[in-house]
Amino acid sequence: MKFLVLLQVSAFFTLSAVAAENPSPTPAATPAAEARPSAAPKEAVATELKGGSVLRVNSTNQSHDFFRPWSKKAPFNRRGLGAVIDGGEVLVTAELVWDSNFIELEKPDTGERSSAKVAVVDYETNLALLKPNDPDFLKDLRPLDTSVQPKIGDHLSVVQLEATGTPVSTEALLTSAEVGHYVLDDYSYLLFKMSCPLQYRDNSFTLPIVEDHHLISMLLRYDPRSQTIEAISTPVIQHFLKEAEHQPYQGFPSFGISFSTTRDPQFRHYQKLSDSEGGIYVDDVEPDAPAAQADIQTGDVLLSIAGKSIDPDGDYDDSLYGRLSITHLITTLSYSGQKVPVTLLRHGERKDVVVSLFHKPPEDYAIAPYVIGRPPRYLILGGLVFEELSRQYLREWGPSWQREAPQRFVYFDHYQADLFPKPRKIVFLSQILPNNDTIGYPQMNYMAVERVNGQPIYRLEDLARAIEKPINGFHKIEFDLDPKVLYLDAGQVQENAAQLQKTYSLPALRRF
Amino acid sequence: MIRSTLFAIACLVASSAVADTPKFDVHKSIVRITTTAQEPDYRVPWNPGSISTGIGAGFVIDGNRILTNAHVVSNGRFISVQRENDPRQYSGQVKFVAHDCDLAIVTISDPNFFKTMLPLHLGPLPTIQSGVDVYGYPIGGERLSVTQGIVSRIDFESYSHSGADNHLAVQIDAAINPGNSGGPVLQNGKVVGIAFQGYSGDVAQNVGFMIPTPVIQRFLADIATGSYKRYVDLSIVTENLTNAAARRALGLPDDDTGVLVGSVESDACCAGKLEPGDVLLSIDGHRIISDQTVELDGENVDLAEVVERKLKGDKVKIDLLRNHQPLTVEIELEPNNSYLIQANIFDEYPRFVMFGGLVFQPLSRNLLESYQIEDLRVRYFYNNFINDEIFKDHPQIILLANILPDPVNAYLAEFRYQIVDEINGNKIRTLADVANAFDKTSDFYVIKFLGASRPAVLQRSAVEEAKERIRDNYGVRVDRNLGEETLR
Repeated sequence: MKFLVLLQVSAFFTLSAVAAENPSPTPAATPAAEARPSAAPKEAVATELKGGSVLRVNSTNQSHDFFRPWSKKAPFNRRGLGAVIDGGEVLVTAELVWDSNFIELEKPDTGERSSAKVAVVDYETNLALLKPNDPDFLKDLRPLDTSVQPKIGDHLSVVQLEATGTPVSTEALLTSAEVGHYVLDDYSYLLFKMSCPLQYRDNSFTLPIVEDHHLISMLLRYDPRSQTIEAISTPVIQHFLKEAEHQPYQGFPSFGISFSTTRDPQFRHYQKLSDSEGGIYVDDVEPDAPAAQADIQTGDVLLSIAGKSIDPDGDYDDSLYGRLSITHLITTLSYSGQKVPVTLLRHGERKDVVVSLFHKPPEDYAIAPYVIGRPPRYLILGGLVFEELSRQYLREWGPSWQREAPQRFVYFDHYQADLFPKPRKIVFLSQILPNNDTIGYPQMNYMAVERVNGQPIYRLEDLARAIEKPINGFHKIEFDLDPKVLYLDAGQVQENAAQLQKTYSLPALRRF
Repeated sequence: MIRSTLFAIACLVASSAVADTPKFDVHKSIVRITTTAQEPDYRVPWNPGSISTGIGAGFVIDGNRILTNAHVVSNGRFISVQRENDPRQYSGQVKFVAHDCDLAIVTISDPNFFKTMLPLHLGPLPTIQSGVDVYGYPIGGERLSVTQGIVSRIDFESYSHSGADNHLAVQIDAAINPGNSGGPVLQNGKVVGIAFQGYSGDVAQNVGFMIPTPVIQRFLADIATGSYKRYVDLSIVTENLTNAAARRALGLPDDDTGVLVGSVESDACCAGKLEPGDVLLSIDGHRIISDQTVELDGENVDLAEVVERKLKGDKVKIDLLRNHQPLTVEIELEPNNSYLIQANIFDEYPRFVMFGGLVFQPLSRNLLESYQIEDLRVRYFYNNFINDEIFKDHPQIILLANILPDPVNAYLAEFRYQIVDEINGNKIRTLADVANAFDKTSDFYVIKFLGASRPAVLQRSAVEEAKERIRDNYGVRVDRNLGEETLR
């Protein structure tokens, strides 16, 4: 009996990106909010940016269709502004150029254009560096400096362009800095929050935020009702640019633990924690992640990381921004390849360990947290479409995918560290393309494959190997849910393959 | 829950297509049942619940018994029964209740009640398109109401009273409204069904359902032994064998016979008798057709219907192929227990244990609905209780369902809706385990939940200090109900 209840949508921001390439506002930007006369914006022609430190960036993007993994969805355009920085490159948000087919840079004053390619992209921190295909395109432009860190209370400028190409800046007050969600769920870094009465203008998907001639930040989201901006913070941009100097790009490091706070006095008493110390309780250690490799265990109480003591809420004292989550200390102030000392309490005994930090790429998860910039893998056998489960696939259910997507898969994704501790993927039947091989079978989907022809299936390659060896001329496919078994006639499947491909216009029956 | 399964549908005037019904005095058989019910609130499980009144119908059958719907008398604290043309009200007692098929027997202690009453007799399953009369006390007035309709469809339907059962039901196009529940549906002077549920008018029009006589007869046979023992179930999942490759792979001839066994529930009656991969060929001598039907009385019906008509302890004989070898097994049928987690609970006070302001309750449909729990793991455990055999480690899924805020639990809010795994090292399988763990004296009570999180720790001294305070502040009359006493 299926029973439907609503899933709690965890910590989704209601703020919307300034989708100015599309005049119709996103739901959060209600018409009412738009119609309301805003306080006289402190706008000015940004003379310091004349001569071109910002460029128009037009990107034509085309995402893969995870429901039909052999094809792409309809292309769409995103238009934003990029910041010219040292080294002949243009900094934009990664979201602007997700799955891009074609990127064009345009000088706002002359209208001169050059196509460009993505030099470095980090989807987790939502940053990308573009390089024009014309090597001389940026020659006369004045790059923005990226070495200055703002203080809370600073007045910054959000840069937009008039239709004429004149740069306009709107004053933004930096109100706070805290670790929060960026664009992909599960990836949190230091966010800048600003208050700013921003107008809608073209090319506003990405906007640089500057202080004099220093690039400070890139706009992530703008909420027109509260007139607040959430933006990528300077330390994150600086980390990204520093990391991007070396190829291959490594990515921001992770620690690989989940933790609880230790405020509860009864809990502290039970754990024999002194009242003078802080510390966080390690709930879970991700297998093969940096913490696990340093032998940090569930139940340890971490007292300090990289020389900074941790309070019972998991915060440390940052020299620039006050109390911040240790997430910032680990992911952004430290670099992949760096060794950081950690002091912990285990069964009441103090212990020092050294954690070698590294970045865990999405492919290393059982269920990849994102699949961007590369096509989904699939294999079609006798009309049965098999894919590897990823959160990108689940996101096809839309913004409320956690409620709408198959709940078994959402559960697998959420608890993957517990459920699938060993390296593997989840191969599943995403749909059946009805044909003569499947006649008599009901429409089935969202079932994980356990074995094929007796072989356990941990990735699509296993499936490809297993179907090389049918049993007595039949493929036996076993699932985790009823109906638990399907049979296909191996010879017939092979015979019908060309016809199947033709009927459904499939470019290929597999892609790894 | 009185009549809440019945929703108003558009008023329907009987058409001329209805068959002639012989003159027959139903007034001497039908009764009006007024139930005062107390429906517990799972969010305040120590409270007796809110009082509501509902009206339904019933009718007299042999043995001085009144047959009605279970949902007419569920959670009833006082039942009053009235006859047609008699001003007196009689107090009724629920003798048997079957929540899985929404039927109940009510008796009257006053011996005079049945003297002038005429019992109705059960008829056969009506044929499609034949006319029927529906009697009851639907909204719109106080007096007996009659509507007419024809039989539209006979099929397995979900019984909304339990919310987790499917049985044979007959769809009719007569207007069935709240208050019709429990009323007889007559054809040629015999009962062919009991009106029990419908759709609300904005979902579907002219669709009402009645419980047909095979279901009623099974209920009467079940209670003949003195208690109701529920439906029995093979507790297996079977799949069609209509794909040609599947048939050839299993070495089966092209004769549309046989179904494949998928899951076999490991704690139910087929465990050890049937295995995944078995091909079932016949049941009690009826050939099993490859689309999971059998021919019964000249009609193709769901394979389950053979078992549906049997009682606890009855045997069923199945011919099957296992690894291509023919085999015959005999199975003693038992009711399934695991699915009850998804069935509505009636006639009992919510079970709970309260300790230090933490309210522990077993997961049930009632609990999930009243708290509107959205936790991913809780919902997963609820939905996959049988498929993933969660019942093996957790016959009851014990949740920290609520926290009554108090200084003793000030830092425990994050644990709400977590599933309890251990208390002081003892595995928690049932609510009784929770009570036992807290009954043992200990300086600290360390509660571990499923999944990765810190344990919740309660100091005994703090709990004791908070005890009276929580009891007074929140009006907690008793701090536990382990379900040892039932209401009926």
